Amino acid sequence: MTRHPPSARENPLARLGRLAEADPRVLALAGTLLAIALVLEIASGGVFLSPRNLYNLSVQSSVVGLMASGMVLVIVARHIDLSVGSLLGFTGMAIATLQAEVLPPQAPWAWPLALAAGLVLGAAIGAWQGYWVAYRGVPAFAVTLAGLLIFRGAAYLLTEGRTVAPLHPTFQMLGGGLGGSIGARWSWILAAAGLLALAGLGARDRLERRRHGLTPRPHWADAARLLTWGGLIVGFVLAMNAYPHPRTGSARGVPIPVLVLLGAGLAMAALARRTRMGRYVFAIGGNPEAAALAGIDVKRVTLGVFVLMGGLSAVAGAITAARLGAGTNSMGTLAELHVIAAAVIGGTSLAGGAGSVLGAILGALIMQSLDNGMVLLGVSSALRQVLTGLVLIVAVWVDSLASRRRVAR
Amino acid sequence: MPRTARVRAPLGRAPAVLLGLAAALAAAVAGADDLVVGASWQHFQEERWRADEAALRTALARLGAGYLSADAQSSAEKQVSDIESLVARGADALLVVAHDAEALRPVLSQALAEGIPVIAYDHLIEMRGVFYVSFDNREVGRIQARELLARRPSGRYVFIKGAATDPNAHFVHAGQLDVLGAAIAAGRIRVVGDQFIDGWLPEVAQRVSEQILTANDNAVDAVVCSNDGMAGGVVAALSAQGLEGVPVSGQDGDRAALNRIARGLQTVSVWKDSRRLGETAARVAVALAQGRRGDEIDGSVRWSAGPRGVVLDAILLSPVAITRQRLDVVIDAGWVDRESVCRDVAEDPPPACR
Repeated sequence: MTRHPPSARENPLARLGRLAEADPRVLALAGTLLAIALVLEIASGGVFLSPRNLYNLSVQSSVVGLMASGMVLVIVARHIDLSVGSLLGFTGMAIATLQAEVLPPQAPWAWPLALAAGLVLGAAIGAWQGYWVAYRGVPAFAVTLAGLLIFRGAAYLLTEGRTVAPLHPTFQMLGGGLGGSIGARWSWILAAAGLLALAGLGARDRLERRRHGLTPRPHWADAARLLTWGGLIVGFVLAMNAYPHPRTGSARGVPIPVLVLLGAGLAMAALARRTRMGRYVFAIGGNPEAAALAGIDVKRVTLGVFVLMGGLSAVAGAITAARLGAGTNSMGTLAELHVIAAAVIGGTSLAGGAGSVLGAILGALIMQSLDNGMVLLGVSSALRQVLTGLVLIVAVWVDSLASRRRVAR
Repeated sequence: MPRTARVRAPLGRAPAVLLGLAAALAAAVAGADDLVVGASWQHFQEERWRADEAALRTALARLGAGYLSADAQSSAEKQVSDIESLVARGADALLVVAHDAEALRPVLSQALAEGIPVIAYDHLIEMRGVFYVSFDNREVGRIQARELLARRPSGRYVFIKGAATDPNAHFVHAGQLDVLGAAIAAGRIRVVGDQFIDGWLPEVAQRVSEQILTANDNAVDAVVCSNDGMAGGVVAALSAQGLEGVPVSGQDGDRAALNRIARGLQTVSVWKDSRRLGETAARVAVALAQGRRGDEIDGSVRWSAGPRGVVLDAILLSPVAITRQRLDVVIDAGWVDRESVCRDVAEDPPPACR
């Protein structure tokens, strides 16, 4: 990234952001989310930001968030995956059918085996699609459009359209329903681990910079970072613990699907920013020819990206089925649109080469917040679609303004 | 038989001659059995259509009529040529599951002009002279509402409706309001949530229900849900709040829904036995082909509730309410096996699972 000399006209807020090395796009997204949340909070008379609704919102966002974190890499590598919704339906259906009808349903090992098989299936389908894209040169749009049809049909064929239920109670915990959260104590342990990791990472960054002779971030910026992220972690755990279980009255704590999203999101962000594979993906997206000339095995990296996307879709399928307590062949219909929209709202460039996992997850949160809040207010589904579409345009417009200004400066 | 054809035909014209022979043969069969019913199906994507076809065939065989069939594979163009070929093959009556009723207008008016009766099966075709055989979708909504009203005569109700783009969603909801309208107007029932669900998707119904429950702080007494798939999402949302047992309706007789009814999680599923529809259509087709008028057929009514208000002769079958007490009906009819209905039923089993 090029450092621009501070211009005299730079506004103080932007200057603060630059010194703190905060990503202006992420800040803009966080601002948008905050604005939407405040409007909905006031309009709903204090329901939107209640612990219960924050629990709903986080669980409802987890499926799209998971898939969006993979979609970022796909789009950055100059591809697209239109099959993720159908893949979610097919793998979710496969997991449900395996555990409820193929394996003995009451056996304690049936659901873990079915889950594992579903994840392998998702990754294998990803590899199949990646093979056509990378090694056979078929455009990803065509391959995954075919996948959209194939796997939606396959989801139907698994049981001739019949809904598969009931699923094992332990498996259903993955959906975040009753008993699908980790309770107050484990939530606090998790928060403590998060805070420690945050402090550790900050300290390591400081040491590394000193070792390489770079100027470390100002102390106040480090403190601001720690406070923001730490505050978010502690605030989230406080909110989740403030939402009681309806029967026992004990605190629910962090829902399991959100835990899965956090784990997958962190892993994907680390992969994108800290590993060779991640750097290759961005290099390919920036300039495929240059990447190939630099010795990057473009085909293998492309294949890997689709395998990841397939695996994440399978995780999303498992969560959707667990949430419903059933496998239905329509699961994930139109999810590909929400996933791509989340990635794009999150600042992923459809031209490839730029995007961030955190942004995509924020994008998913923004989309789901709108839907969640407008149902609270009793807005009709038709009007919700109109408003969500408008927000999509405005969000991408604001983002493009931000990037243009950066180039102009 | 093929050998003689091949011997007599000049080289290169064998296929045409074979076709001619087949047509003559079909006509001969029609003459012998005196009646043939041609069925044009839109597709066989859903499990039920095979059951419809089997019921239709059996009933036609019992009535001594022949059966021809064509599968349009979800293509309006193919359905047009299917119908033309059914007529060419000597069908005395046409039974049509329209994929796109508008696209069929020309070919069906042609058939009607030739004196071949047309039966619109399950899907409405609004053309003068067509006989409409279907389940009464408005009655589906009435049954759902009646079952819920019997259990919760007053209180806070939620409507989870089908896709706004699907006419059936509106028929069903109109039926629900037929029953609940008075109580709503009188203020005994308060509607605290009312949403269409895009694509009738269960997971969307679940998210919407979660939000409605949150907005009302769980003060919901009944959920009028339009089908079983969405009812699955509604019940999942209720269960996550420990609200199992709040009355919920559905339709279709899905296995999963029947199992929920046995477990006390759903109140009613409105079941449309498509086999009854097939039998009725066979009876109507044979009667019409024998030259009887539509209004002379047993059980037929004058019906004009379609979007264009065209007056049609019709038979609208009443669907059946499947509740906890009546699970035996679906099991005895061979629709589902007892085991899948009674799976995981723990305490207080319904009569069918004892």
